[in-house]
Amino acid sequence: MAADFKTAQNPSQPIMAVRGLTLSYARRGVFNARRSSVRALRDISLEMFAGRTLALVGPSGCGKTSLARCLVLLEQPSAGEIVYKGENLIEMKREHLKSVLREIHLIFQDSATALNPRLTVEDILAEPLLIHGLGTTNEERRQRIQEVTAQVELPATWLNKRPLDLSGGQRQRVAIARSIMLQPRLLILDEALSALDLSTQGQIANLLLDLQDRHGLTYLFITHDLTMASAFASEIAVMDAGRVVRRDSPSKVFTANLHTNCETLAPDSPSRETVLAPLTPLGNDE
Amino acid sequence: MIKVASRILHGLLLLAGVSVLAFTLLSVAPGNFFDELRLNPQVSPATVAALKIQYGMDRPLPVRYLRWLASVTRGDFGYSLSYHSAVAPLLMVRARNTLFLTGLATLLAWMVALPWGVLEALHRGGWVDRIGGGVTAALLAIPDVLLGLILLLLAARTGWFPTGGMVSADASNEALPERLRDIAVHLFFPVVALALGTVPVLVRHVRSAMILVLDSPFIEAAHGLGIPRWRLVYRHALPAGMNSLISLFGFSIGALLSMSLLMEVVLSWPGLGPLVLEAILARDIYVVIAAVMLSSVFLVIGNLLADVLLYWSDPRIRAV
Repeated sequence: MAADFKTAQNPSQPIMAVRGLTLSYARRGVFNARRSSVRALRDISLEMFAGRTLALVGPSGCGKTSLARCLVLLEQPSAGEIVYKGENLIEMKREHLKSVLREIHLIFQDSATALNPRLTVEDILAEPLLIHGLGTTNEERRQRIQEVTAQVELPATWLNKRPLDLSGGQRQRVAIARSIMLQPRLLILDEALSALDLSTQGQIANLLLDLQDRHGLTYLFITHDLTMASAFASEIAVMDAGRVVRRDSPSKVFTANLHTNCETLAPDSPSRETVLAPLTPLGNDE
Repeated sequence: MIKVASRILHGLLLLAGVSVLAFTLLSVAPGNFFDELRLNPQVSPATVAALKIQYGMDRPLPVRYLRWLASVTRGDFGYSLSYHSAVAPLLMVRARNTLFLTGLATLLAWMVALPWGVLEALHRGGWVDRIGGGVTAALLAIPDVLLGLILLLLAARTGWFPTGGMVSADASNEALPERLRDIAVHLFFPVVALALGTVPVLVRHVRSAMILVLDSPFIEAAHGLGIPRWRLVYRHALPAGMNSLISLFGFSIGALLSMSLLMEVVLSWPGLGPLVLEAILARDIYVVIAAVMLSSVFLVIGNLLADVLLYWSDPRIRAV
């Protein structure tokens, strides 16, 4: 299996386009009768381009996670389209969808709950390969695991450990390693750095940038930390009350006096270098 | 190993406490076997007094307890005043019959409840869940005795199954397959009655344990990796939800001797139920104490088994 999984992608074409996406939750009353509905997402339209990072920011409860869950179909949207490489995921046949979803992965905020606490790191990393029939022998799977663990700087001694034996940063590395086992094209990072301390955030952010450079990965970087968003992304979409209210380059988003929520979240906008550079020299997070 | 030894020691201390409590409470309760005997005009007061001395019931409570403890070490577990025999052999035959019945019922109940609960959890809020919830609610609302009486009525009216006992009177003359069939036929209604009483409780527990696990981010993450539903359930969700179910399984083992007492009386099963009921009515306290102790032993074994299973199944517990 190749360690590098870059594929040709027309840079002018979005790898994923979300059009008119709406998500409603039903409120149910007696005997499960539908009383009313809550609209978590309203007519969302976004585009993500290959090899680039789109940051999605907004206050808590604005629908960022709901959108992330819709994009990997953990939630079924009420309306709209999720077009991935020209095909609408929502209308895809199950078998085809399974192969397409191999390329899109969601990384959760809390790695302690996102990894099965009973499995060893090696089992966690091997499972996606087993499921998708990649690596027919144990040796092939082990080789692939070694390749990926080297990329995310996971020491081989961690492979026999279980998630709860590791620190938050170490677990997040495992979660990232698991995601790239299947050579994805798009990673959705749902507050993936929020639960980490500042130095570990820097290390994981650098790791993500390195993987992006190496594999041409596309990121949807969901956060409420505008400083990190500006340092990490080439474009920022601001969400509020289930809608995307602004989409622009980081500098424009921060300079424009556009939205009260945005101002509250980001009083200033440091450069990407200011955020990441001082954190780089620090040692490993274990 | 040290943990198991420590749990066994705790269990033994618990049993010692239960024996003291059971012995004291039953001894100080109003009325005794000899009060019942005095009501019989054919037995003279002198005979009653002589019997009291013969069985050591005239001695102080601590002395009687120590004598009972001595009989426990001999394996007698006291002396039945009604049956004029040591309690242990009397109890063992009945306990074996009870365990045969409750073991099968518990096995059947778990075999039904596990897939049922998982299915309800997987279809939470859907028709399968709602119909399943309705059935379990109905079963929970029906008292065990009523359930037993309904099945007894069914057996009596249809004649498909015997209305009581464990074997037919002439079964000992039959060949082995016929004898086994005879036992199976006698077992059917008692096992079904007990299982129907247990299943709804188990289903509710399995369902809630599975729902808790199925909502976990690691299940969603696994789902996102394209892991098929059946594999998600058996490899990820079931083992993760197993902890509370293993504890419940321990209680099931602990309840093996006590869960069927009433049903055995209703369905005339020759187990501990009728024997204990007779012993209570006759104030045959050593039989009652032995039955209480045996139930406590099963409770201790059930809990110990649950602890060992938890230790074996959950690496996080092994790591502590």
